[in-house]
Amino acid sequence: MNLKRMAKTFAVGAVMTVLSAFAQTSHSSEPRIKMPYKKTGLDSRQAAAHLLSRFSFGATPGQVDEVVSMGLDKWLKQQLNADLPDDEVNKRLEGYNTLDLDNSTIVNTYLNPGQLIRVLIMQHLIDKDSLQSAGRKEYQDKLHTLMVQAGYKPMQDLQRELINQKIIRAAYGQNQLKEVLTDFWFNHFNVSLTKNQCEQYIQTYERDAIRPNVLGNFETMLVATAKHPAMLEYLDNASSVSNNNELIRKQENNVQQLRSKLQLRKMNNNDTTGEAGMRLMEQVMNAQKRQGLNENYAREIMELHTLGVDGGYTQKDVTEVARALTGWAPAPLYNNGIAKKIMDIAGEERMKKQGFVHEGDFLFRANRHDQGEKTILGRRFPANGGYQEGMEVLHMLATHPSTAKFIATKLANRFVCDTPATALVNRMADAFLQTNGNIKAVLITMVNSPEFWDQKALREKVKSPFELAISAIRATNADIQQPFQIYAWCMKMGQRFYFYQAPTGFPDKAGYWINTGSLLNRMNFGLAFATEKIPGVKLNLAALNKKNNNFTLAYAAGNNAMISQVTGILIGSPEFQRK
Amino acid sequence: MINRRAFMKSGALALFAAGFGGVPGFVARAADNRKIWTPYKKNKVLVCIFQRGAMDGLMAVSPYADPNLKLLRPSLFMSPAKTEGSMTDLDGRFALHPSLNSLHPFFAEGRMAIVHGVGSPNNTRSHFDAQDYMESGTPFNKGTASGWLNRAVGLTGHDATPFRAVSLTSALPRSFYGDNEALAINNLQDFAIQMRGTPVATHAVAQSFEQLYDQTSSEILNKAGKESFDAMKMLNVNNIRNYQPAQGVMYPASPLGNALKQIAILIKMDVGMEVAFAESGGWDTHYNQGTAIGALANNLRDFSNSIAAFWQDLAAYQDEVTLMTMTEFGRTAYQNGTGGTDHGRASCLFVLGNDVAGGKVYNNIKSLAKADLEDGRDLPVSIDFRSVFSAVANGHLKINDDKTLFPEWGGKELNLMKA
Repeated sequence: MNLKRMAKTFAVGAVMTVLSAFAQTSHSSEPRIKMPYKKTGLDSRQAAAHLLSRFSFGATPGQVDEVVSMGLDKWLKQQLNADLPDDEVNKRLEGYNTLDLDNSTIVNTYLNPGQLIRVLIMQHLIDKDSLQSAGRKEYQDKLHTLMVQAGYKPMQDLQRELINQKIIRAAYGQNQLKEVLTDFWFNHFNVSLTKNQCEQYIQTYERDAIRPNVLGNFETMLVATAKHPAMLEYLDNASSVSNNNELIRKQENNVQQLRSKLQLRKMNNNDTTGEAGMRLMEQVMNAQKRQGLNENYAREIMELHTLGVDGGYTQKDVTEVARALTGWAPAPLYNNGIAKKIMDIAGEERMKKQGFVHEGDFLFRANRHDQGEKTILGRRFPANGGYQEGMEVLHMLATHPSTAKFIATKLANRFVCDTPATALVNRMADAFLQTNGNIKAVLITMVNSPEFWDQKALREKVKSPFELAISAIRATNADIQQPFQIYAWCMKMGQRFYFYQAPTGFPDKAGYWINTGSLLNRMNFGLAFATEKIPGVKLNLAALNKKNNNFTLAYAAGNNAMISQVTGILIGSPEFQRK
Repeated sequence: MINRRAFMKSGALALFAAGFGGVPGFVARAADNRKIWTPYKKNKVLVCIFQRGAMDGLMAVSPYADPNLKLLRPSLFMSPAKTEGSMTDLDGRFALHPSLNSLHPFFAEGRMAIVHGVGSPNNTRSHFDAQDYMESGTPFNKGTASGWLNRAVGLTGHDATPFRAVSLTSALPRSFYGDNEALAINNLQDFAIQMRGTPVATHAVAQSFEQLYDQTSSEILNKAGKESFDAMKMLNVNNIRNYQPAQGVMYPASPLGNALKQIAILIKMDVGMEVAFAESGGWDTHYNQGTAIGALANNLRDFSNSIAAFWQDLAAYQDEVTLMTMTEFGRTAYQNGTGGTDHGRASCLFVLGNDVAGGKVYNNIKSLAKADLEDGRDLPVSIDFRSVFSAVANGHLKINDDKTLFPEWGGKELNLMKA
């Protein structure tokens, strides 16, 4: 048997796939779709295959022909609209409990270990001493039992459903471009399950801050991430505090006055009522003072989210942006937490009067904001700008020419090749600027460019492990009953998604994914997948062969075991690692 | 000049698994370049162990002679005594936890140094951030894309090989992020084509893969494919499965023990490894950490016995290897209300190797009096972790480029390596 020929047949077959015909509606701010693939010598089948390889997680059997007969423009339009019904995904997500929850419910149901122990002690379900003697395993088991009894749920449920839904949507979703872009933008605005403080929020972060905006406006997405508890915690803005504001000065005054009053009372009447309360106030104030400015988010929003490292900002700008964003924090959500109680006592009206802004899970804490004047990227922000000042900073960053260039480069990098041509990037950056960051317009500009269709760009990108796994599922119409098993393989192949620790996100280049260990694991994945050795993977390769002709060679190879083996080799083959 | 044929005929081939039909390309290239028969034979290896969760340095290596310690930790205080199971005195000031006994001979022989009061200048008490800073090597910049160990292998000036930087973990650790090739593998036995069926069938499948990767037009896949198959044959999982440590050596059957055992295998195979990484968890002892027995004692015993087994197993290779441990921060000087300790600042670390000026507890610790503690509660950081890491990396791997290794840092190396 000639494996090379087989691989080629398979690769072409798998790369070809689906689409449906839709009327093209026009949006004034977006250019018309005019894909110049004929100019670069591609026929419509090749072009459809290329388009599917970049704008989907891989073609399903027969999909390339479907796209050709429907028309490439129509398919793309449909994907840009991203409103196809997703019945298959919905069916597979039935029984998932966490996907629709709001942050408040999550925070009060899925406790972290520290919270859990405090709650159990508070409810007298455990006492500290009873734990002294218990072994680690025993102790964990006991905690788990008590947790369930008390009506709380394990954090692992949250993580597992988050991971599984990503796999299911990517494999079975009809709006493939939206799934690809959700993956892209999440990675761009990376947050990580490795950080405890933000792990509870990551599911809503992807759902609410990323997903609705992936084909929308860049600034809207930037603001949504900036205000989301996941990002506020991940890059520490939640703990960036200034004492330079009226509220703190007033509070200090009050405490001082109270202190004198109580001292007087103690001296005169030996009366100590109120002292405990004062000590608490002092503690709260000192706690705030101990904290200070934290520049992490300010640095990364410029370096990684908007301007890019060479985008023309200085360390001074970092500090000034950090000052402008002091007070941007998650609203207290944990019902047993002291912050929530304080906020409930204060009341919305009073907080509003003091300059607090409470929007859903976001809280602008006026008493932590630096009221002073700032100068950012040469522009002066007068004192007392409050919450609005931060919004203006984000607007300035989102619409900056450096940002346009940085985002254009990153998109071209993902969708065209690891080293995109300058002319292409410039064209996309212009589209970004002209439309104030309309992502659709930038993508259309990209596919309207000959560079996108350059023969050298075809199959030039190497799939990430996640892309490889999902494209294997799609190419074989596989039924995945246990998505988490696919995740385990992605980890083995080097991509523990949602756990990338650094705010840079996974590097988007072949050299990062391909090394000796990961490559052998890719081959082993192919074999394990095709031979159904991965639990919950169901394939019907014979049916696939009869229906689509793509597997004729494999089928000709003989018995079913042989078909699986050959399919495994094809999935592990170099051609299938490319897109 | 040695050509490939001569190399194949040489004894070097005996190092590789039986049935290997040629010299791996990267080995041959290295042999050609360096004109030596066994290109990796005397490679220096730096082995790092990250203790995730923040080890209580004040209990591992206790400044027992400071009278403040007993006041800060009434029920966690330990000190050396003549009785079995108590601490071992090191220098009249510090004592080693009884669970670390198996490391004591190395200290006594002068090949293990302890550094105390070590940590990061950034005072974050978040595990995530502190690990991130320590592994990137830039305590004030989260955006640093690479890890310090990845930068270190890039500075040794040696040829890239698939095994140059190996982490015995399932995912690439932050320390290994970067442009230089680095490998994360939990289990070396995964380094093979795995499928159901007879060895003959598996072999045939492996050959099919090899052929396909040999023919691909993608340069990166072609190259990585070649190296994968070379590396696979070189390692030969059968040898790994049947590996026998040196006489009398017993690795603990723990994740750390397994990781160090596999690192020993790679060292003995001379595959060109220069940096190896392993990690150990469970150090976040907020509750009931215990004293001579208990959670921390168990963890310390595993840590100590794993390292001791590794070192004894290395035998003739000890001159080539230096091992360094690290943890993101230390724990509060006082005990908390639940028999444990909370997140603090400085901890201690261990450096083991024949080129280490050991037998000494390097420190600048003043006292545990409240005035000398950071924020009135924590052992302050009096030695910057970078001054230790750079001394060990420079001294052992012979690299001298602190600007690349630790940008932002202009401090002085701690003088703990033999000249």
